Amino acid sequence: MKDPVPTSRQPLGSLLLKSQRRSVLGLEKQRAIRLFFAGNSSVAIVVLVLIMLFLLREGMDFLPTYRHELEIYRRAGLEFCDILDRPLAEHQQLCSKLRRAASASSNTITQTARSRRDAAYEQMREVEEDTRLQRLALTDALAQVPPVAPDELARLRQELHEATLATTTALPQPAALSPAEAQELKQELVLLSPEVPDLPPLLKALSADYIRVDMEAHTAFKPLVDAVEAFEAAPDKLHALIDEMKNHARETKAHVTEIQNTEGGRPHLEKVDFARNITPLTTRIPELNAKVAEYALLAEKAAAALPAKAGTPQGTEFLVEMRAQLPLHLARVHEAAAGLAAWNFQKPVTYLDVIIAFFFGDAWITNSSWQDFFGFVPLLAGSVLIALIAVLIATPVSVVAAIYTNQFASAREQEFIKPVIEFIQAIPSVVLGFIGISLLGDAIKGVSEWSWLQWVPGFPIQERLNMFNAACLLALMAVPTMYSLAEDSLNNVPRAYIDASDALGATKLQTVFCVIVPAARSGIAAAVLLGLGRVIGETMVVLLVAGNRIAIPDFSVGPGVIFQPAHTLTGIIAQELGEVSRGSAHWQALFMVGIVLFVISLLVNWCARAFVRSFELFKS
Amino acid sequence: MLGTTVPAAAQTTLRLRGSDTLGAKLLPQMAEAFKKQAGRVSFDIAAEGSSTAFTNLLTDSAEIGMSSRKVKPDESAEFRLKGRDLREFEIAWDVIVIIVNKDNPVSDLKKKEVLQIFSGDIRDWSEVGGNPGLISIYTRNTSSGTYKDFMDLAMKKREYGTNSQKMAGNEQIAAEVGANPHGIGYLGLAYAHAKGTKIVTIEGAIPSTADVKKYPYARPTFLYTNGEPTGTTRQFIDFCYSPVGEAIVTKVGFVPKSRAK
Repeated sequence: MKDPVPTSRQPLGSLLLKSQRRSVLGLEKQRAIRLFFAGNSSVAIVVLVLIMLFLLREGMDFLPTYRHELEIYRRAGLEFCDILDRPLAEHQQLCSKLRRAASASSNTITQTARSRRDAAYEQMREVEEDTRLQRLALTDALAQVPPVAPDELARLRQELHEATLATTTALPQPAALSPAEAQELKQELVLLSPEVPDLPPLLKALSADYIRVDMEAHTAFKPLVDAVEAFEAAPDKLHALIDEMKNHARETKAHVTEIQNTEGGRPHLEKVDFARNITPLTTRIPELNAKVAEYALLAEKAAAALPAKAGTPQGTEFLVEMRAQLPLHLARVHEAAAGLAAWNFQKPVTYLDVIIAFFFGDAWITNSSWQDFFGFVPLLAGSVLIALIAVLIATPVSVVAAIYTNQFASAREQEFIKPVIEFIQAIPSVVLGFIGISLLGDAIKGVSEWSWLQWVPGFPIQERLNMFNAACLLALMAVPTMYSLAEDSLNNVPRAYIDASDALGATKLQTVFCVIVPAARSGIAAAVLLGLGRVIGETMVVLLVAGNRIAIPDFSVGPGVIFQPAHTLTGIIAQELGEVSRGSAHWQALFMVGIVLFVISLLVNWCARAFVRSFELFKS
Repeated sequence: MLGTTVPAAAQTTLRLRGSDTLGAKLLPQMAEAFKKQAGRVSFDIAAEGSSTAFTNLLTDSAEIGMSSRKVKPDESAEFRLKGRDLREFEIAWDVIVIIVNKDNPVSDLKKKEVLQIFSGDIRDWSEVGGNPGLISIYTRNTSSGTYKDFMDLAMKKREYGTNSQKMAGNEQIAAEVGANPHGIGYLGLAYAHAKGTKIVTIEGAIPSTADVKKYPYARPTFLYTNGEPTGTTRQFIDFCYSPVGEAIVTKVGFVPKSRAK
């Protein structure tokens, strides 16, 4: 290499690359610099590999640990108890329907008396709440030993009286009571004091009135109410037996845990004599079967005694639903009971079972007194649904904005729009989370209560914190990424295409929508995918705003499902990792969730790259 | 999640780790009062759930562990295994209060109803005498001592229903119940009386400092130390039991051990 032409200030490159005799660590300088740069770029790759190895190491242990836990769950007989307990849980759902039907029916009679009583009680509570401090002071003084001086007591009484008077006068007129009654109530409430144990007379009268009407309703709907009670009580004996067995199983499990803790590691399960502990359970199968038959009989009898109609159309609907579901429920219980004999505590838990339990399990239950389950479906469902809604919102916004800035906007507009959209990226996600909790949640809820919007499925919504709320914020976060990429891909459309389109006499709109956008479509698709990747990995917003309900969203309600709360893959890691002890099944399960997240992100990115590559091929 | 770090200006630093129920209000105030009295001491309080009390004591990263539940058998076994001697101090009673929205006509629940609501058996307010509407359940998350305690106190160790939502802290539960007419949740007594909510009595029993043990959902809270406490740690624990300490306990909404009847 020739020496550079000497100038007053040598360019940096020439200084670095100038060949010199001196060598670093036996390497020629140029080579050393080259290695330095290569090393820096390989750091990223090394770190990525390390992260993958770390995740895999922590997560892969999950399979044996969880398998061990499930093995204890089986050997100690917890699984045996759950065979019947699971289908029996449906009984409560049927009960719930019946109770609702009964309450809807009796409400037709009791409504007025109830709201009158509730209104009066509410006023009393309000007074008591407002004068809480004064009441507390008086109660304390009265309870003191030795007794407080009389004039001190008198002062406290006077203070309470004044406070009560002030609150009572300010009370609004309740709609359910007549003005005369409201006046009477106020006069009685003024006298409220912890020294008078009796309720105000009007309240007593209203309560008595309600009880009378309630009795009336009971007589009017006696067949319904009786049948509901009979149905509720139907599985009592079966439950008692299962509870007894559960306690036994729990003891066995506690015993195993104790051995585990004293030995300081995972014990060999062969050491525990499970067979002896399991016999008290399995020998009761005939008894269980008898109780199941009894339950089925009682339940059917109660269902048969149900009247055809409840007091309201909606109540009748509940009865119809319940009648339709009961045979299915009983069939499931019978089926479970038949499976009891076939259950074997020695059946090994295979790795396949564990994988199925994790990837297809529908319950994520931790810190349980019974058994922890790590089923991943509810979390995945939440994450995927939120991400899809977010992308659905962000795609039109960002693509249309990109088309506008790229094709229609003036240079000055471009200079303004681009940085502003890209600036959104700078908002910390925790700040967005706050916005979701304090502003957006209330706004969405408020809008959902507008009467002319009631045709929207899911309106009015009940929860401020829900998937839609989180998805809106995530969409906002995804817009900058998607916008920039979409804009780039529009920019990359060869000039010749546009010229050709113009030459054929196409209008601007025709050129944009028939030539430019189709030519850029794989780039736009890549933008959408990368947006998806950004959204699915986001943590803070979903943790704060999505509502954290660990259950598979109830898709049976239709599109309104998006207003339900949900938990997510990222949220669960953030929420639970801080608390678990290192190396426990729970800890490892969270790492497994991390691995799955990592794989999802890799896949999404890989797809996006594939799209971009096909775009480049297309261009050449 | 909630934590207070007091700058280390003095010589001794007491590190307190554990329950959010204790570490959010009670112990920071206790620490402030103790500093005024004892002077040269500083506090470092982090409250991320009762379980962290024991993990921190085990690794010697805390002098005092705060817990809203008794130590679990497997946790104490771990201490024994490492030759540690875990000491327990019952400092106050905490009361778990059930709250509903102010506009909810339901103001009293039976113990069985509470169990059925939180375990998801009862799904609709009309089943317990309220206005028809699905119940929204707000609970603490699994790291909280209150989460587990409520299961033991009120739910006969059953699981929470799948329709329950796990909130980060007491304040968030109060905020959601206050905003949702169909909401129900539970809180420590110190956090009750939040805006838009009202306290539900349980079979007529009012949660109050006056008669703790009559109320079904009351529980003792504990401080734990590694071995018999000495020096400043001892002084601080004695201070918690002193009249000044008990006054703070009462002010924050807990019930001092001596008054829990």
